[in-house]
Amino acid sequence: MSDLVIETTGLRKEFRTRRGRHVVAVHDLDLAVPRGGVHGFLGPNGSGKTTTIRMLLGLARASKGEMRLFGQPVPHLLPSVIDRIGAVVEQPKFVPTFSGRKNLTLLARTIGVPSHTVDAALEQVGLNGRDQERYKGYSLGMKQRLAIAATLLKSPDLLILDEPTNGLDPAGIRDIRDMIRGLGDSGVTVLLSSHILAEVQQVCHSASIIGKGRLLASGDVDDLVGGGSTSTTRVGVADPATAARLLREAGHHVIPDGEALVVEGVEPREINRLLAGHEIFVHELTPVRADLESVFLQLTRDASVGRPAGPAAPVTTEAGVA
Amino acid sequence: MRLFRVELTRFRSRRAIVLLLVAAALLTGLLAASTVWETRPVSAADQARAQAQADAEAQQPYIQREIARCEKNPARYFGVGSGAPDCAENITPKAEWYLYRSVVSLAQERNDSGIAALLIVSALMIIVGTTFAGADWSSGSMSNQLLFEPRRPKVWLAKGAAVLVGTLVASAVILTAFWLTLYLVAESRGIQTGAQVQEQIRWLVGRGVVLAGLGGLGGYALTMLVRHTVGTLAALFAYVVGGEALIAALPMEGAARWSLSNNVFAWVRDGHRYFDESIRCLPGRQCNQEALLTLGGGATYLGVLLAVVALVSVLLFRRRDIP
Repeated sequence: MSDLVIETTGLRKEFRTRRGRHVVAVHDLDLAVPRGGVHGFLGPNGSGKTTTIRMLLGLARASKGEMRLFGQPVPHLLPSVIDRIGAVVEQPKFVPTFSGRKNLTLLARTIGVPSHTVDAALEQVGLNGRDQERYKGYSLGMKQRLAIAATLLKSPDLLILDEPTNGLDPAGIRDIRDMIRGLGDSGVTVLLSSHILAEVQQVCHSASIIGKGRLLASGDVDDLVGGGSTSTTRVGVADPATAARLLREAGHHVIPDGEALVVEGVEPREINRLLAGHEIFVHELTPVRADLESVFLQLTRDASVGRPAGPAAPVTTEAGVA
Repeated sequence: MRLFRVELTRFRSRRAIVLLLVAAALLTGLLAASTVWETRPVSAADQARAQAQADAEAQQPYIQREIARCEKNPARYFGVGSGAPDCAENITPKAEWYLYRSVVSLAQERNDSGIAALLIVSALMIIVGTTFAGADWSSGSMSNQLLFEPRRPKVWLAKGAAVLVGTLVASAVILTAFWLTLYLVAESRGIQTGAQVQEQIRWLVGRGVVLAGLGGLGGYALTMLVRHTVGTLAALFAYVVGGEALIAALPMEGAARWSLSNNVFAWVRDGHRYFDESIRCLPGRQCNQEALLTLGGGATYLGVLLAVVALVSVLLFRRRDIP
């Protein structure tokens, strides 16, 4: 049995706009989400994240490619696994004139779960007390909480959350992130689609980055971030101009940064050896630890200019394992 | 069955649907009340008022002139053999002329207010079916529901069954209440309704309930196709008005057979005679431009229309992306 909870191979989605323009929203996407933990799904707006999720959940038809959830081909066998999947896609969508509780109760009855599950789900997202109010009167944060409560009705093995903290206040964001982390730690696989990079870095164990419908990189968050940290160093010297010249002559990429220099593509030890050899002694030699944001921006910038994804070893990139 | 029960709860809980059902009950109630009022028995006060009006009118000079003119040549007014007394007798206003009142007759109402009630209920049930599906699309909750039950044909059928059962029950209750009211009023006024008329009314109610139920289902199916309440109503309007205009303009003989209204009336009235201008009459030949559309003919037309819309609706719902 496959250890991948989500697996897509050559997944493609094409459509025509009303003006007749041909659009490829998802471009031969190979996505693999392992069992357990929180997996981030990152990409700029319009990169195909939501379309991918909608195809996985049977809301949109794939133009080409294969998809599997829990090893079952979808959408063909989606009904056999749907009870194990909770999902929030884009904005929460409920009947506006029904109360939050009524909306949840109808969904619970659809899958035959008892009414006390509704109470538990409302309790878990902190909506009890407001559950009898009409959905259309809810704030965006309350709507988001109700959507998450709906996903919990199934006690899911896989939770797919598309921008779940949108519209929440800081306390709500913290609660939801804690909940996602807790679910991931408890063995539930969570696919978290988010444009908030800090959120992914804080919450996720692994991540996939897509741009223009293509997979740019995928792997553990630590590896994605760590991949960039080894190659950038901040260097403080008394004579930055001479140091910059020497480093450039040695073939390194140097960026002036105030009184210091930022050197890319070379180990700190090598920088120190080179400058010391010319009687220039460093007073600062700091490896710049890349955050997910810089990795993400570099990958998506590369994708937008058509360059291959930058090195983010040892993660899986579009070209294979870096 | 579980999904059907959920959809039935959703149907019962929608405020717009409840309001439409209440509107159907109120409008048919109003129709019944209007019939009861128009046929109310003549009271002594009504009689006295009408008599006073007749007496006042009789004193008018033009009445007297008319009587005088008649008395000179009664045969011209009332035919050979009539005499002068006939003039005063027939020309002088009488109290009953001012009592515009008929008695309640279920046989008569079967062709008047009974048809109107049936058409009102059917039209509102079409809107009920339309708004039931339209709300799911406009709120976006359809996609949420499909995350819990992804078998789309099953979802379509469960929702359709809920609309069908809901509109059948509602229209049966409303139309039965309408006729029961008229029947009880007639009984209370000592007017007996024959067994044959009662049987015809039961048959009319049955046809009305079926029309309303299937109309609701048709409205639902069309909205699942168009995905918008207003879009469905516009499509229905275009079909009814545009279709009638097209039929009138077509140079095809017997085109009126395909008119929606003729087919609906064929079903409602258990056969319908209609005037068809497209039937050409050659000069000098005997010609009848009246045509008969049978109950079966109307049922076939409406049934095929519903089946086509439902089939296209369910097939496209199965395939299309859900917003």
